Amino acid sequence: MGGGGGGLQAAPKVKRGSFATVRKKKKRVGFVLDMTPLVDIAFLLLTFFMLSTTLTTPQTMEMSVPPETENVEVKQSELLTVLVRDDGQIFKYMGDKQSNPPEKIALKDLRALSVNENLRMENKLIVSLRISNKVPYGLVINLLDQLNIAETDITQRLSAKGMKRERKFALTPLTDEDKEDLKAL
Amino acid sequence: MSKIKKKRVGFVLDMTPLVDIAFLLLTFFMFTAKFKSDTENEQKFQIKRPMASADTSKVPDKDLAMIKIGIDTVTNDTAYYYSLSNEQDRKVVYNSDKVQLSDEARQKVILKVTDLKVLEALLKQTRMANLRMKFAIDADKRVQYKWIEDLTNVMRLSNATVFNFVTDKPN
Repeated sequence: MGGGGGGLQAAPKVKRGSFATVRKKKKRVGFVLDMTPLVDIAFLLLTFFMLSTTLTTPQTMEMSVPPETENVEVKQSELLTVLVRDDGQIFKYMGDKQSNPPEKIALKDLRALSVNENLRMENKLIVSLRISNKVPYGLVINLLDQLNIAETDITQRLSAKGMKRERKFALTPLTDEDKEDLKAL
Repeated sequence: MSKIKKKRVGFVLDMTPLVDIAFLLLTFFMFTAKFKSDTENEQKFQIKRPMASADTSKVPDKDLAMIKIGIDTVTNDTAYYYSLSNEQDRKVVYNSDKVQLSDEARQKVILKVTDLKVLEALLKQTRMANLRMKFAIDADKRVQYKWIEDLTNVMRLSNATVFNFVTDKPN
């Protein structure tokens, strides 16, 4: 390590010794400062701060709910209903429940489902999410996340067809009737 | 006496720039380190946020009304915790007559709210106090959806219809 080493040099003295030679003796005032511990502490502090600072702020997922409970008329043929049961199992049915009984679907398949149905309905699809009150919030966010991931794909493909993406979906609690229907499956 | 001539391989390494960079990095991290405030230290609940990969917007740091749903570390109870980022708004809203709170609770920074009616009053007063107020819901991933459902209903009644869910990014 480069330590600061300075030395004060006194004026060269002429020594009158037995050899009668002129020897220049440099008288050094010792000023050696070893900086090793300073650098050690500096690296320690650096490591501490590097490990303890959180540089990223938490992310947010934007959501909005319709003001009050205004009942919007929807066409059943344009409606995709996704239901989540108490135990976390996800079901889906398109349009009418009687003619298309609810089918089980895995979380990872939701993205593909959203993309396919949205493109098939050409921007007119309305997604209704019916979630049981006992489902953990984490699962709901994962579900919404899958749908959000599908959004970029859908928006891109629709703009290729010249359409501006209009996303319509609703978040409602699971009705007792739904619970009865899903219990059997 | 034979002169043993040692052939020295010159290996001088000047470490000055290394130390310079180390100090630069140190000062950078020293200035960007955010320390836990007193209120955060007192906080007895913990929030394990759910992970969402598609989120790209950040939590706003001012004009923010944050409703946390946390699980107490000791009793394992779930409760709503209300806080406002602007101190001025906080004074106005917490001390409002329309909000039923004990005087002791009004002094705090983070309010523990157990009654949905109180939450509704808080939200309404907040909206009136600051029109630019943004709402965020920061809930633990383990809480039941019912808590979110009740909260969104109350928010709908108070006309706070646009809000954000706070999530963590998966690694």
